[in-house]
Amino acid sequence: MELLEAVRLVAAPDVMLAILASAIYGLVVGSLPGLSATMATALLVPVTFWLSPIAAVATIITASAMAIFSGDIPGCLLRIPGTPASAAYTDEAYALTRKGQAELALGAGLWFSAIGGIVGTLSLVLMAPVLAEMALSFSTFEYFWLAFLGLMCATLVARSSPIKAIASMLLGLLVSCIGMENPAGTPRFTFGVPDLLGGIEAIPALVGVFAVSEVMRAMVTPEPPKLPDRKFGSILANQWTLTKKYQWPMWRGNIIGIIIGVLPGAGADMAAWVSYAMSKKFSREKEKFGTGHPEGLVEAGASNNASLASGWVPSLLFGIPGDTITAIAIGVLYMKGLNPGPTLFTENARSMYALYIIFILANIIMIPLGILMIRMASQVLRAPRAAIMPVILVMCAVGSFATGSNLFSVLLVGLFGCLGFVMERNGYPVAALVLGIVMGSMVEQNFITSLIKSDGDVLPFIERPVSGVLAAMTFGALLWPLGVWIWNRVQGPRLPAGRAAE
Amino acid sequence: MQLSDRITGGVLVVLGAAAAWGGSRLPAVPGQEVGPAAFPMLIGCGLIACGALIIFGIGRSFEAEEAPDTPHPWWYGLRALVPPALLLFYVLASETLGFLLTAALMILAGALTLGARWRLAVPLAVILPFLIHLAFYKLLRVPLPGGLLTAPW
Repeated sequence: MELLEAVRLVAAPDVMLAILASAIYGLVVGSLPGLSATMATALLVPVTFWLSPIAAVATIITASAMAIFSGDIPGCLLRIPGTPASAAYTDEAYALTRKGQAELALGAGLWFSAIGGIVGTLSLVLMAPVLAEMALSFSTFEYFWLAFLGLMCATLVARSSPIKAIASMLLGLLVSCIGMENPAGTPRFTFGVPDLLGGIEAIPALVGVFAVSEVMRAMVTPEPPKLPDRKFGSILANQWTLTKKYQWPMWRGNIIGIIIGVLPGAGADMAAWVSYAMSKKFSREKEKFGTGHPEGLVEAGASNNASLASGWVPSLLFGIPGDTITAIAIGVLYMKGLNPGPTLFTENARSMYALYIIFILANIIMIPLGILMIRMASQVLRAPRAAIMPVILVMCAVGSFATGSNLFSVLLVGLFGCLGFVMERNGYPVAALVLGIVMGSMVEQNFITSLIKSDGDVLPFIERPVSGVLAAMTFGALLWPLGVWIWNRVQGPRLPAGRAAE
Repeated sequence: MQLSDRITGGVLVVLGAAAAWGGSRLPAVPGQEVGPAAFPMLIGCGLIACGALIIFGIGRSFEAEEAPDTPHPWWYGLRALVPPALLLFYVLASETLGFLLTAALMILAGALTLGARWRLAVPLAVILPFLIHLAFYKLLRVPLPGGLLTAPW
């Protein structure tokens, strides 16, 4: 009965229109180099203000799924990843294009993205209610560890120094201390500025770090080369053969993607890197990797889209973002009165069903729209950067003004843009900063309440079975880089973890 | 703006120390051992530790190497400051000039900095603000300042 109700919710004209419009938006933004899926989602937030709750969530889901796929397009044709999540296999896809098999590479990206998205959604459908049951018995200790685990996972970004990642995360936590949104209600670090009393909202920070800093980078980097006009053959031909031939890597990619997505804090970028490396390690034709071999594309392409869906599990259940995209989604959920938490699944089941349907729908319409996008890619990618970047800047201003209804947030967007730009340039991952800002007050709230409950004792933090396991996982994530370092020392000079894929 | 690890690490140490010191001066909640000071002090100490490790170059082996930059005149890097400057301009000017004029100036300046010819930049600056205004104000009902030049709708 509730399923029917959910279908009715999704079939409403405004929701359908929102899905279609955000699908096109996501495809276009994702395909433009330098504009990431996170940025596409962040710029959508002011738009979601004025939509119904279901339509708002639908735009976020659809746009992010489309953007993650369409990031493969410039990666494949120009060797410039459209989104960081495509970076892992850009060289491979480009090698295929040079061999004259662009259709195969693009088709694999599309087909396995859609499969990954659907499998990821099924995992969300199966896992969420079970975990919701469990989550009802969670206390502040478990929430503290979950949030802390999310923060530690956010620092396991491939290709950056773990120490710099931890520093970025701490910086985010420090930003979240600003204002009086703390358990004691004491104004902290406000420097007498009344605008800072309410704390720093996550949305201006996100828009600044992901969008403004990208516009800034465009100012000092040469314009990417134009795409030559080309006719494509059939996009989906041979994909079924690939599916049968690489069935096992495909499932492995899906499963790795789901696991990484469910881990709070780790998202699509990491899923793609890990899956590509995994694919190479277990392949029977290792020597073909890097020369235009579709196996890695199959596995990593499925993986990054699978992680996108399963990233909603910790977000919906605990309000702890699975990655930067769901960090934005959580903000939208709160705004729309769909507060994340285990009760969402019991009291608001039809909204949850509607969400599942939107996920499946988005991944199905991805195939025809994606084919259209591939065929029009050379036109879209020809749009001059000089026209796109200034518009994004104006939209940052309008959007941040709309979220805060004051000009102070526009100023914040600019400041965070500078911060993100400088950090990125010097190897500090900005995703860790953002997750620190988003989760800071949650970590503090649960940490301080737990400490008060336990009377300053550490034992209760690890006494309960679930909190014990979570604590072990957190320290595992913390000590992982150290383990890799020791392993490399013992095994002789080898490539570090993140670069094993190259 | 490529800085050495010594500089960024040093900044983190100073920031961490400031956070810990600022945190320690916060008033405690009477009758409670842990108050609002605990969390900033913890973060401050963490930042000091990370900053010190970064100064000594620990963890560098994990980083991917950056492609070497092509040489540019010294002012080339300053172009990165144009977007935040334009946002500041929006903060200062949008109330008086109104959205349409402010956005037009921002787009013009942004497009020209990105190397667009006047022939492209001027039409962009004339047409795009209207489109953005239409989309946000009319369709999405986002409040936008009217100012000197109000939209015809």
